[in-house]
Amino acid sequence: MRRFRDTDEVDYCIVGVGSAGGVLLQRLSRAGFQVVGIEAGPFWDTERDWVSDEKGSHQLYWTDLRITGGEHPLSLGENNSGKGVGGGSVHWAAFAPRFHPSDFRVYTEDGVGADWPISYDDLKPYYELLEREIPIAGPAYFPWGDPHGYPYGPHPMGGVGNSLIRGCTKLGIRVSAGGPVAILSGSRGDRPHCIYRGFCIQGCKVGAKASTLITHVPNALESGGEVRDCSMASRIELGPDRRVKGVHYFDREGREHFQKAKAVIVSGYAIETPRLLLNSACPGFSAGLANSSGTLGRYLMAQAGNVILGRFDHLVRLYKAPPAHAMTEEFYETDPKRGFARGFAIQTVGPLPIAFAKQMMVAKGAWGWGMRRVMMDYNHWSSIAVLGEILPWADNRVELASETDQFGIPVAKVTFNLHDNDKKLIEFGKNKVMEVMWAAGAEDVVQEDRYAHLVGASRMGSDPETSVVDRFGRTHDIANLFVCDGSVLPTQGSANPGLTIQALAARTADYLISQGDRIFNSNSRDMTQPPIRYNLSPPGTFWKGMPRMT
Amino acid sequence: MNGASTGRKSLPIDPNTHEPLPPVRQPGYYPGYSTLAQQTFWDAKTRSVILHRVNHTPPIRFFDSEQAALMKAVCDRIIPQDDRDPAYRIPIVNYIDERLHEDKIDGFRYENMPADRDVYRLGLQAIDMLAQDRGGLRFVNLDARRQDEVLKSIHDGNAPAAQEIWNHMSIQRFWKGLVSDCASAYYSHPWAWDEIGFGGPAYPRGYMRLEGGEPEPWEVDEVRYEWQTPPDSLSDVYEPAGGDSEQKGHPGQGGTH
Repeated sequence: MRRFRDTDEVDYCIVGVGSAGGVLLQRLSRAGFQVVGIEAGPFWDTERDWVSDEKGSHQLYWTDLRITGGEHPLSLGENNSGKGVGGGSVHWAAFAPRFHPSDFRVYTEDGVGADWPISYDDLKPYYELLEREIPIAGPAYFPWGDPHGYPYGPHPMGGVGNSLIRGCTKLGIRVSAGGPVAILSGSRGDRPHCIYRGFCIQGCKVGAKASTLITHVPNALESGGEVRDCSMASRIELGPDRRVKGVHYFDREGREHFQKAKAVIVSGYAIETPRLLLNSACPGFSAGLANSSGTLGRYLMAQAGNVILGRFDHLVRLYKAPPAHAMTEEFYETDPKRGFARGFAIQTVGPLPIAFAKQMMVAKGAWGWGMRRVMMDYNHWSSIAVLGEILPWADNRVELASETDQFGIPVAKVTFNLHDNDKKLIEFGKNKVMEVMWAAGAEDVVQEDRYAHLVGASRMGSDPETSVVDRFGRTHDIANLFVCDGSVLPTQGSANPGLTIQALAARTADYLISQGDRIFNSNSRDMTQPPIRYNLSPPGTFWKGMPRMT
Repeated sequence: MNGASTGRKSLPIDPNTHEPLPPVRQPGYYPGYSTLAQQTFWDAKTRSVILHRVNHTPPIRFFDSEQAALMKAVCDRIIPQDDRDPAYRIPIVNYIDERLHEDKIDGFRYENMPADRDVYRLGLQAIDMLAQDRGGLRFVNLDARRQDEVLKSIHDGNAPAAQEIWNHMSIQRFWKGLVSDCASAYYSHPWAWDEIGFGGPAYPRGYMRLEGGEPEPWEVDEVRYEWQTPPDSLSDVYEPAGGDSEQKGHPGQGGTH
């Protein structure tokens, strides 16, 4: 791996080598730029570092301190934040649906949330590109949103998927079985196919589940990019000319460094991105770097993720097969009859014993002998989850707390409240999934409130008064500072955000490449849509081989 | 750390004979099943982590001896192991102590909660205050029924004493943190996997029978038996944890999606 010196003024310094950062690093390096990716966590050796064990996988998550509050506080860490090269894509369950066309104009269609400054059609070619690069396994015909098919075949069903199919079939609800998931159903290059061991969110030791650690970072290194791991960014430096000069960070020994760069891209996800920008406040930006709008940190979103658990007379053995293996988006779009805007998806999940015990504690109030008894029935339970759209609200936000981390950097304080539409949507969604579970033949059905994913808090928009970045991810305030990760999402739909984050990263990369040196020496903003570059995929990953859709 | 409440008989009952079921090496419905017996099929790193967990019980370093004895008594009711042969009980307190000693957290702290270490220090004080209030004794000296009454009052969010502590931290969040830690410790152990029929580490071999709940060739079929909860127990009733509606609705934490 090439190593730059701090004193080298690289073209791009990317903060965070996760879902977005991994794709950006690969694209920009391949296009010939000098790029360093600063990553807070380690560069994993999957065979040496990872285990096929629930408790032993704690290191994959962002477990440093954050403060959580509000009326409906979010749990953070293992459920929604990664640390280490690959970021959240290391521990995602890997459902990889696209957003629907309606997701990009929620305000126009429903009068709530926000419109995106781009349309589905702007992102569609990047969905198609990333679905092949990653690649995604799923059905030949996925009927919801903009119907499409997947390059790799669907996975076989596990016990949980079977209960979802059985329940939905009884109720006349269409189901997508065996995907879409970013898990190989057949081997590709040196990546083996799935072995159905069910430890997806503990990090796929097999290499079948995609993470940017194995899909994009290797080609980034071959192309001259650098990943500087165990390096915690603390502050972005702004020059007197209102252009950023580089990134201050602490290395693995706690020594402070400053990496000079011609441009900086923050890809730290929905908590760490606003935290870094807030911590980079300076004269002229006293409320946080690139925060002249006052919206930095606001409009943070999590998706409703209620888990519905059903006990069956027969054995299910829900620990087998990827947790993500069947779903439906039949309730995704707004239905005025339901009395709330937007909708939800229904997806399989597969809690391993510790997660399942915690769910039984919440859903059944289990403890003591009751916990021992219900856990002895672990293999009789199935688990299906709501994935529901919670709208962006200004009071759901990331701020700085008074506490500091091990480097002395103020930590994030996260405030989260459900609003009326969110509560109605969650109530309807969980009842619908309970109905599915009963229809599948369950004899006992309980549910646990929970949330999944984090997006927003640095949103993109056309209006610099109400958003942080423009439609290419460039901050409205500073011409050579970009944000590219889940935090730029104006709304989130009911789709898992991973694929969309990577598609947005490939699009931002195309924009940066098309702009060339202008990013480094000009404050002017060319808003021309860049051409799509099909020649930048990691070698051997982009090909046709798709089911024909006519 | 073995059996603080020595001599206590709190055994599950055979509903046919009405006799206590004697402690066994492996309770549960999968007789003879052993995940550890499959360790040659695990990858080297996973094997070393699991074997270390089984063979090296971490010493008590965070709790002082009085707190450790109290924690042992509390954990013995939150995840009772009276039905297990004493040589096959899982050292829950030691695993929790290890987490607190290393100050490992889940990645967040509720704004209305102290740091985890203080939560345990305060929570243990509160439990002893509740025990005094209920039975005029330290928690470790109460009988099993009284101990369950104390714990159930916390579970219900309706504890009649230690108000100054509950003013300082949410009783519901304390309860859920405590039960979560106990369950995480217990169900991270291969003996617990054998009890519930979980496959355990599965790399690089993987699974081949995904459907119909069928066992792999090395797993075993379920053989159910009836058992009644010990008569001095209050914990075999499923009631959602109590408290005001805001706290009741607080979401789960374990990673699923």
